[in-house]
Amino acid sequence: MFTFATDYFLSVFVSTIGVIQLSASVGGLRGLLVFKSPIVARPFGIALAVASIILFFATEERNLNDFNGGLDANTQALFFFLGVLAGGAVTFIGSSLINIRMDDDASPGSGFDALRDTNYLRALARSLRYWTRNWRQQMRSYFSG
Amino acid sequence: MATADEKLFLWINGIAGNFSPLDNVVRWIASDYLVPVAMALTLVALWFTGQDERARMRHQIGLFVALASMGLSSLSVFIVNIFYFRPRPFDAPGLDVELLFYRPTDSSFPSNSAAAAVAIAAAVWAVNRPIGLFLVAAAALYGFGRVYVGVHYPLDIAAGAAIGVVVTCLTLGLKNLLQPLPTWVVKAARILCLA
Repeated sequence: MFTFATDYFLSVFVSTIGVIQLSASVGGLRGLLVFKSPIVARPFGIALAVASIILFFATEERNLNDFNGGLDANTQALFFFLGVLAGGAVTFIGSSLINIRMDDDASPGSGFDALRDTNYLRALARSLRYWTRNWRQQMRSYFSG
Repeated sequence: MATADEKLFLWINGIAGNFSPLDNVVRWIASDYLVPVAMALTLVALWFTGQDERARMRHQIGLFVALASMGLSSLSVFIVNIFYFRPRPFDAPGLDVELLFYRPTDSSFPSNSAAAAVAIAAAVWAVNRPIGLFLVAAAALYGFGRVYVGVHYPLDIAAGAAIGVVVTCLTLGLKNLLQPLPTWVVKAARILCLA
């Protein structure tokens, strides 16, 4: 059971990195990308996602009932969530390190839009700084509209 | 009705066991991992997709609707199964089934897998047609695969899909009422640059 769950977690983890690379490239979120060129980033994302799924199925028999070594629905959901969380964390931190010099003060967007011009950790620091300075105004807009 | 359902089942399941590479591909498609994981990863992609803040917000709210629809569809199937249990095709007497899957022990009707997959696909369809279409195709393939490998009758899949569509429509109907909740979550995620 542990091996199956570990394989599943790893497969979701790697796929998540691939899916984020692909969708960040499509959405123009350059701060999350490992490779800036869409010609490289998109095939890279697809390759990661597809390869991890193929490896998961090709290495062992996966059509197993939960009492024969497979995962029940709740465990599957839990490991999927953990895999996505880990894949997301590695992507956000890793891409910040790779794009450490990337910063454009001229157009600081908010949320994901900030990641068009800067890396995640820098965007996060900027967003939190802005929030702590303007929290009254931000709280008002948070609960309206 | 049951006879026509069984005939259609036998016709689809009759393809199984004749061509080993096709069987292997369909066993992957019908498994508990490939299509569900692919659909869930598509939801992850949906979170990041959208050319501007407004489009992204629509997708992100759609993701919450998809998750709620999936949960409520499974709950609906669970409630139906309290009152009605249909044995799996491989347990039916006198039915010659080519089983390419493990033996599930829960009720065959309605298909929980189809209900959940169609619920997600319909919810995504409501916010993004191309991605929704991809998920509808994946759900259809998944349903077909479950019949092919011998664990569901076609009627189980159709009933599951109907539950998925109805529950998603109801969830979408309640969306305006419940929208502030996911909107607050998305706004909070935006502060952390996660949405």
